[in-house]
Amino acid sequence: MTPTVPELLLGNFLALMEPPPPESMGDFLQGRVAVTGMIALLSAQEAERGIEARAWENGAIRALLTASAPAWGDRFGEAAKGVDKDLSLAAMDRANAALRRELIALHIAVEQARDAALDTEIRKLYVKMADARRLDLPPLPAG
Amino acid sequence: MSLQDQLGAYLTRIWDQPARVTTISRIPGGASRETYRFDVEVGGETRGLILRRDPVGSLIDTERKLEFLAFRSFHGCGLPVPEAVALEEDGAELERPFFIMSRIDGGKAQSPFTVPPYGDHAAAIGEQFYSHLGQIAAADPLTLPIAEATPAPPLDGCWKAALDYWEGVIDADEEHPQPIVRACIRRLRANPPPPAQKLSVVHGDYRTGNFMHDGAGRIIALLDWEMAHIGDPLEDLGWAMEPLWCYGETDRVSGMLPKAEAIAIWEKASGLTVDPAALAWWDLFASVKGQAIWISSAKEYRAGGLKDPVLGLSGWYTARRQDVILADRLMALEALS
Repeated sequence: MTPTVPELLLGNFLALMEPPPPESMGDFLQGRVAVTGMIALLSAQEAERGIEARAWENGAIRALLTASAPAWGDRFGEAAKGVDKDLSLAAMDRANAALRRELIALHIAVEQARDAALDTEIRKLYVKMADARRLDLPPLPAG
Repeated sequence: MSLQDQLGAYLTRIWDQPARVTTISRIPGGASRETYRFDVEVGGETRGLILRRDPVGSLIDTERKLEFLAFRSFHGCGLPVPEAVALEEDGAELERPFFIMSRIDGGKAQSPFTVPPYGDHAAAIGEQFYSHLGQIAAADPLTLPIAEATPAPPLDGCWKAALDYWEGVIDADEEHPQPIVRACIRRLRANPPPPAQKLSVVHGDYRTGNFMHDGAGRIIALLDWEMAHIGDPLEDLGWAMEPLWCYGETDRVSGMLPKAEAIAIWEKASGLTVDPAALAWWDLFASVKGQAIWISSAKEYRAGGLKDPVLGLSGWYTARRQDVILADRLMALEALS
């Protein structure tokens, strides 16, 4: 997945622990500190919602694949089997990657068959998936 | 030897007279290049310059020669573009490729995360922003220095060259399956835009944050030409209007103007006409290109040992935001028929 929270927080530490060269003090260092602060702020949101968002997305994709299997092939039903027993972010992302690959394959088949109804259903799912993972950065004052 | 000393040694050599760098400081942003402002004493005068040096890892894989020639193409043509001073593709004394350009003082580049980015000067800045872009679009690229470093696609091949390039970036750098951007790419391929009206220099990253203004409503420098190329001028228009660059604003593009006004200003300056269907294609393309950049930055963040937080934030938060925009745009398209 995109950088994980453990990677990002480790990265924050690494970014700040090395003393910068003299030419990188001042504005550059100030900017770097601000970005690490944004990452910390957003990491709190990911810690709060990340598991729930992944559990929901994995469940939603499984439901769609299961419902599609009779018309579109057993591979989608097989891919949808299973549940998220390990609720760590890493394990859920691994399961999510496999499910997303099947979702892409299903969508391509749907587009090729010009199935407008299922295409719209998948596009609606994309909107929900993106919204579930959304991170909210408070607007910064223009200054 | 410090960067300051390396730079002094380099300038002394190429100018064939003693040059002493008196101050140097790195500028935040510019995640694809290390950017420094510095002063150099030479021949009894002090010159203010900018150094753009390739980093070990970068947000965008670009050719520094291209950016150098882009500056050279538009400096002195009535647009606020700094003068390109020197280019070293093998790194010379600075060990990594770089170029030097003149410095324009007295302004600031606004972060796209700020609200409202331009306050009471939004309309005045918008007028200049879209007028300048129209002037870039109006120029004949084949007569400009940039033509040395970038191919000119056929009019009906601009869209494919651009889409092939950015899909290739996603293919190379994707570390987790991305169904939303993949679906958008398929839609773009299945519904190509009409041929470009003309070939133009495409700035490639013309947006909020990549120009300087003086705080009183005047744009004083157009910057960050590192993704410049020759293509369809609507590519820049779509990118400039990408919702990512107008944080929280729904009624003004780029945080400046209503979309219709921005297009009218661009049309007047360029002498071109915007086909709404063609611009809709380039709007969606802009969001795809954005996601390609964020996917790349996530990979580069890991490859670089997690040390550049700008890459981390881009590959995570910005990628998530881009997915929201892509999904909404995909949903707004007509149903399959």
